[in-house]
Amino acid sequence: MARPRRALALALTLAAALSALWLPVEAQAQGLRSLHVDALSMRADRTRVPVGETFHLAIHARVRERVAALDELVVPDVGSMHLLGDERHVSAGPGGTDIVETLTLEPTTPGPFTFPAAYFDAIDANTKKPSRFAANPVRVVVTAQAVYYASTRTVLFPLVARVLVMAVALFAVLALVVLVVALRGRKRIPVVPAAAPPAPVPAAPPRTPRDEVADAFRAYRSAPADGALRRLRAALFAAAGVPPGATLRDALANTGDAALRPVLSAAEHAAFGPARARDDASRELSDATEAWLR
Amino acid sequence: MSRPSDVLDALHATIVGQDEVVEALVLGLIAGGHILLEGTPGVAKTLACRALAASVGGVFRRVQFTPDLLPSDVVGTRIFDQKTGEFATVFGPLFANVVLADEINRAPAKVQSALLEGMQERRATIGLQTHDLPAPFVVLATMNPYDTDGTYPLPLAQLDRFLAKVIVRYPTRDEEQAIVDRFSGDEPALRAGVATLADVQRWQREAHGVFVDAKVRDYAIDIVRASRSAELVAHGASPRAALALVALARARAYLEGRSFAAPDDVRDLAAAVLRHRISYDDRIAIEDGHPEDVVREIVGSVRAP
Repeated sequence: MARPRRALALALTLAAALSALWLPVEAQAQGLRSLHVDALSMRADRTRVPVGETFHLAIHARVRERVAALDELVVPDVGSMHLLGDERHVSAGPGGTDIVETLTLEPTTPGPFTFPAAYFDAIDANTKKPSRFAANPVRVVVTAQAVYYASTRTVLFPLVARVLVMAVALFAVLALVVLVVALRGRKRIPVVPAAAPPAPVPAAPPRTPRDEVADAFRAYRSAPADGALRRLRAALFAAAGVPPGATLRDALANTGDAALRPVLSAAEHAAFGPARARDDASRELSDATEAWLR
Repeated sequence: MSRPSDVLDALHATIVGQDEVVEALVLGLIAGGHILLEGTPGVAKTLACRALAASVGGVFRRVQFTPDLLPSDVVGTRIFDQKTGEFATVFGPLFANVVLADEINRAPAKVQSALLEGMQERRATIGLQTHDLPAPFVVLATMNPYDTDGTYPLPLAQLDRFLAKVIVRYPTRDEEQAIVDRFSGDEPALRAGVATLADVQRWQREAHGVFVDAKVRDYAIDIVRASRSAELVAHGASPRAALALVALARARAYLEGRSFAAPDDVRDLAAAVLRHRISYDDRIAIEDGHPEDVVREIVGSVRAP
């Protein structure tokens, strides 16, 4: 009998707690606004803040309706931190209203601190029910420089010194082992006449941008299609020392080769000029490229 | 027959430096679009507009926008003529070839809307009658970015009607020395009549025929589309921005005597087309961002063809 009675008592307690949570929202429902809430978030611009320095905690709400203010917004308790500023911006646009409240805070005591979620009560326009909309909690770590330096001196320095001593000892042992093995090995290894070095192979000269242009030009002259023109233009731009995605002005500004300039301009004309003038542009590009390659 | 480069030279003969502003005014004239100039007082915004109007021999009107301005002060009104016993139409300053709307954000929305309707439709209604505005018709509007108390910010939909927005920057030291030397005495005469209104209309027709390759068109579209998904941007630019960017690229090619628009034209003019058509997220204030950096990042994020 004892077990069902305990279960009943637990259920009653839970129900009472839940109704206590629900009641304030229900009781205020008459005074609540009906809103489509698209977003409610909270974030800090720094997650680690030394004591005495300031940081900002921004709460951003977005509702689909045009509202002048969101006075229902309850900002989180900031504990022992000094509240230096509280600024609220409301901007309404055709898609709704953005409300941004920015708190400027200065922590006074070190340690981790979690801001409870900012929230507001409204009638959820989607469900037509009174609801509490809450943002995410935000955690910041407040550091104290004095404590940090003290711990560096008393904890970190001895630790580093110990690790260094151990590393030096290990290195000395390893060096000794390598020396012993090398001395023994020298007696056993038979002397083998050294093989004749391979005949030197002449290395191919590195390809230059001019070679790339020459290849692309050959391909363009045999079939002056769009793809070949793109390749030739890219090779010319590379010869001017600019990366892909650069424009003619970049290429002209970058190259010191005066002879390359008319070739670059001709490539631009051929690539983007009107179809009716394409033959002339293509001929102009071919002549200019040929002259430059010579 | 004059060329648009003659107007450019005439403006440079009056204005010291401000190459971007001078070029934007001539491009606006060629593309038949309106230009918004933003800059502090005293950086030659008004002088540049006057010089432009003088160079093409058109009718120039200036309207100083103030909080008590009425739509009829801009568009015009009908008054009763006691001699004839009939109502007569008095045309407002909007009926000109070059209209300078000085400090456009100082007038209330009703006046801004009357002006912007004329800009869009190229017609204005006075009383019951609708009148065509003269051709060519270009509005050059100025705004001061700092002294914003008592101003009425233009909504995005109205800003979208400006082809480009140009930032008029402070001159360099050398330029400032030249300004002091040139303007210390009597103000130098503007170079008037280097082109005619008929020339301007011809330029507009011919610029329309400048070739835009599909790759260049797609580059412009990609930049505009990139503005819609960029970081810190709440609302990106509309398709009208892509139209404006292509129109300006055509105008630039025509000004430089080319028969085709190049990727450089699109890249150079993209910021002027985008900067007034984007609304920014509130995070831009929190993260200490700058709208010009956002625009630069958008343009830089798209690879040129």
